Amino acid sequence: MEQSFYTMGIDVGSNFIKLVLLDYSAKPKIVDKHTEKIRKRNPTQVADEMISTMLAKHNLTYEDVAYLASTGEGDLVKRKRGHFYGMTTHSKGAHFLFPDARTVVDMGALFVRAVKISPDARVQDYKMTGQCASGSGQFVENISRYLGLSIEEVGDVSLQADNAEVSSGICAVLAETDVINMVSRGISTPNIIKGIHISIAGRILKLLSSLKGESPIILTGGMALNKGMMQALEEQLEETGKKFEVKTHPDAIYAGALGAALWGGFRHIKLIEKQALAA
Amino acid sequence: MKSLETILNECEHLAFDLNFTRAKEWKAGDKNRILVGYLPIYVPREIIHAAKGLPVGIMGAGDRKQIIKGDAYYQSYICHLPRGIIEMALDINLNDFDGFMFPAICDCVRNLSGMFKLSKKGKFQRYFDYPQNFDPFIGGVFYEQEMEKVMDDMYAINKVKVTDDALYQAIELYNVNRNLIEEIYDIRQQYPWRLSAVETYHILRAGITIPVEEHNELLKQVVEHISKERGEPMDNIRVVVSGSFCEQPPIGLIKSIEMAGCYIVDDDFMLGSRWIQGDINRNITPLKALTDAYINQSTFSSAFYDVGNPKGKRLVNLAKKRYADGVIFSAASFCDPALLDRPQMQKECDEAQIPHINFQFHENTGQFKVIKEQAGTFSDSIKLWA
Repeated sequence: MEQSFYTMGIDVGSNFIKLVLLDYSAKPKIVDKHTEKIRKRNPTQVADEMISTMLAKHNLTYEDVAYLASTGEGDLVKRKRGHFYGMTTHSKGAHFLFPDARTVVDMGALFVRAVKISPDARVQDYKMTGQCASGSGQFVENISRYLGLSIEEVGDVSLQADNAEVSSGICAVLAETDVINMVSRGISTPNIIKGIHISIAGRILKLLSSLKGESPIILTGGMALNKGMMQALEEQLEETGKKFEVKTHPDAIYAGALGAALWGGFRHIKLIEKQALAA
Repeated sequence: MKSLETILNECEHLAFDLNFTRAKEWKAGDKNRILVGYLPIYVPREIIHAAKGLPVGIMGAGDRKQIIKGDAYYQSYICHLPRGIIEMALDINLNDFDGFMFPAICDCVRNLSGMFKLSKKGKFQRYFDYPQNFDPFIGGVFYEQEMEKVMDDMYAINKVKVTDDALYQAIELYNVNRNLIEEIYDIRQQYPWRLSAVETYHILRAGITIPVEEHNELLKQVVEHISKERGEPMDNIRVVVSGSFCEQPPIGLIKSIEMAGCYIVDDDFMLGSRWIQGDINRNITPLKALTDAYINQSTFSSAFYDVGNPKGKRLVNLAKKRYADGVIFSAASFCDPALLDRPQMQKECDEAQIPHINFQFHENTGQFKVIKEQAGTFSDSIKLWA
């Protein structure tokens, strides 16, 4: 395939919107990427502004982008050409970052999802956490705020733990009560944070076990760059006695948007071929 | 002509007005007018129209009414629709209705007719049976007799004798109604982005609560609006949704399917309004014409006996006619007709290599995460791998 064209992927999460501009060809290249916290703004407007700004930055218009694909809460994105489901895009994004990926763990703000994929990034099976938020990035963010930490500090602080105190892994409300008790009992902040990470890692482990996840495991989503989370998960996996390689990437937060842009390119070519056949 | 947005807002309001305000206003306009409520799926509304009546479709309370007494009437393993309807009957929603028709589609509806009788709701509660024998000299005669019983019920209330002229006029009006609805579906087949499935649903459901003359006027305007470009086309898959013929899916479910990347190009949500395929003949006696139409021009549904013309094959034909990429089986929980038929229909889809998925709902389901997930991955699998 010699053709090259632009595609865009936009991943609308509950806290962040991630946008990727891709030069799609046989060897796709990321041209630009941007992430923006929604805060209390209208997500549709934020998404629209992000796209317009990125297009303007590269002297492009909507018409220059062959396929603008959304993922996540895609109905909030106007002028998109298509939408792909979260696990399809995270799998493709993870596969792009690590072509040997076999299991993808998408750790988002509201839930964690483990996906088993084929060598060509097809979703084969998946498991996800239930409705309780205790296994999610939002929960970690809430706890860090109560403890006076920024979300960026959480990972490093967790690595300083020497005697982690594990909290409830079932219910966010109970876990938050646990944390209040820990603070009043004088447990150090690193030990509390590490305990939270261990609790979430335990839930991920259960997902991986029922999924029969295979190595290497790629972490994607907002929590993937949290070093403390990564360490807790590695430790928990080690305890199972099985050898799992856990990987993450500086662009892990973009995996959904990246996957959407990649599938958009794939789909664009497919549609052209379909049109040619029909003609 | 009204703007499409105005029409859609009006229809949404009419569709979910559980007090049927517009129908009751219509009745108040003349002392001979009567309101006849009917349950899903199909009744020959023409006979009610010809008797100076307004047929009003009662499709359930959905997620808009709290069930307090209704649960006492049905076991936990019975679908949600009859609980909502008995709740409406025991409340004030169905006051001013003169009679009710209960089409013979399943035991739950049969029992509901008995409950209405015991509760003395309306002046008649007619369990409306359908022929299982499609020989015009056996099933046809039986069906005519069933219609005559309803005409007698109505005559006892308003003393209006149904004439052939009045029936011909009603047949003509409902022929126009069905044609306009099919025109909307045909336009949506080609340009599904011009009118969403939810909007289409509102338009059709509004139609069963107002006089057919008013609905025809609305439909004509909708056809005119959507004959012009509206909205942006998306790279979505095209699906036929099957199995929701009686208990209606919550709007959130239809929206979830659409938001997951599927254009719903055909469905059986408001099947009664589309039951007869094509025009009803006006060149024979009107009752015979209605009978012939039922016997020879009925669409297919799990709740009806369909000898010699298997519904699975008809579903496959519908999917092909609409150029659908797949079929979504979406049935109400505990809906025996739909759930019993589904394996056979799935088998037919498999043989025709039409991908399909299935899930179940209650009319008051509030969580659509899993459904969105299934529909989303279904859409992706067709877009990327089919």
